[in-house]
Amino acid sequence: MASLGDLERTVMDRLWAADGPVAAAGLRDALADRGLALTTVHTVLSRLEAKGFVEHDDARPRRFRPTATREQHAAELMHEVLGRSGDRQAVLARFVGGVDPEEARLLRQLLEETAPDPR
Amino acid sequence: MLPATAAALAVLAALLAWPVPAWLGRARWPRRDPLVALICWQAIGLAGGLSIVGALLVHGLAPWGHSLPEAGWAVLTGRSADDPVRGDHWVALTLAAVLTAELLGVLALSWVRTARTRRRHRDLLELVVQPSPAAPDARLLEHPAPVAFCIPGARPLLVLSSGMVAELDDDQLAAVVAHERAHLAEHHHLYLLPFVAWEAALPVLPAAARAHAAVRELVEMRADDRALAGLGGPDPRRTLAQAIVVAAGGAGGGVPEGALAVAGSAVGARVVRLVTPPPPLPATARALALACAGLLLLVPTALLLLPAL
Repeated sequence: MASLGDLERTVMDRLWAADGPVAAAGLRDALADRGLALTTVHTVLSRLEAKGFVEHDDARPRRFRPTATREQHAAELMHEVLGRSGDRQAVLARFVGGVDPEEARLLRQLLEETAPDPR
Repeated sequence: MLPATAAALAVLAALLAWPVPAWLGRARWPRRDPLVALICWQAIGLAGGLSIVGALLVHGLAPWGHSLPEAGWAVLTGRSADDPVRGDHWVALTLAAVLTAELLGVLALSWVRTARTRRRHRDLLELVVQPSPAAPDARLLEHPAPVAFCIPGARPLLVLSSGMVAELDDDQLAAVVAHERAHLAEHHHLYLLPFVAWEAALPVLPAAARAHAAVRELVEMRADDRALAGLGGPDPRRTLAQAIVVAAGGAGGGVPEGALAVAGSAVGARVVRLVTPPPPLPATARALALACAGLLLLVPTALLLLPAL
C-alpha cells in the first residue's frame, strides 16, 4: 500500500505530464497499474487542492490541473530559502548564507594560506 | 512594602538588557565552546524576562503582602490590601501584564507561523522532489546554486541542491550533511526560536538583535563541531571549511542584496575557527560559565519567592 504522500506525488506527475485538465476518472485509468479506487483518487485530489497545488474547473465531471509547473514550485521554494525574511531564519537551518564576492575571495585565500604542505 | 526586592530585580533586568549581552556578544571565549555559550544566552534571556516582569509584579503587589507568593495569594483569594494601593502600583501591574502577554504572545505567534511555513515547504518538497533511496530524510532539489538546508520538526527533511552536489566532492558533501544532521539532532531551531521572537517583540532593545545574531552564529559553530566528531578523512576540519567557502561563494549570485555583510562576517568566523582552531575551554572555565548561567536563573527566582528584604 503506497503512502498518501507517494500517491500525491504520482498524481501530480500525471497532471504535470498531461496536456490539459484531467478528470478524476481519467487519472484513475492512467494509474490503472496501481489499481486505485475512484474515491482514493478524489481523496488525493482534494488533499492536493487543499494544499494549493491543484485547481479544478466547472465542467462536469470536474477536471483538475496543476496550479503551477514543477519548475515554478522549485523556484518559489528556492526563492524563499535564498531570501532573508526574518522568520525564515527560524523556519529552516541553511548550511551557509551567501557572502559578497570580496569576502568569498578572502576566504578562499585564507584556505590556500593555511593549506598543509603537499608532500 | 517590598522596595529592596523590586529594586534588585530592576537592576538585574537593566544589567541583562544591555551590559551583559554586550559583554557576551564581544567575548572571544564563546567560539571555543559554543554549547556552553548557548546555555549562557538562554539563561540571559530567561533571567532577563523573569527579572523585569518580576520587578514590576513585586512593586505592584507590594500593598498586598511581604512576599510575592503571599501577595499573589492574597489577590487571588480577594483579600483586601494591607496598605493603600496607589496609582504607581496599578501602573506596574498593568505593565507586567502587558509585557508578559507580549513576550509569550509573540513567542506563540512565532511558533505557529514558523510551523505553518515549515509545513508548506515540506509539502512543496515532497511533491517536487523524489526521496533518495539512500537517505530517506534527504531530498535533492534541481537548482544551480549550491544550497543545503534542513527543515526541522516532527518529520525533518534535509535538502541538497543539485548545484551543491556538483560543486563538492564526496567528503565535502558528507561534511555538509553531517552539519545539517547536527542541527536536527540537537534541535537547534528551539534554541533560536525565543531569540527570533523576542527580537520581533522588542525592536527598541539593541541587545535583542545582538543576542539573536550571536546565538545564530553559535548554533552554526556547534553544528560544525558536532559534524567534525563524526567525520572521517585525513583532515575533516579543512574539508568542512572548504565546503563552507564553496557554498558561501557560489550562493552569492542568487542572494538579494542587503544584510549580507552581517551574515558574511559570521561565515568568516566559522572558516577561521575551522582552519585555525582555538584551544578548547579549560574544564574550570566551563564549570564557571555554567555556574554563572545557573546563578543567573537562581537569583531572580530567589528574589521573587523569598520574603521581601
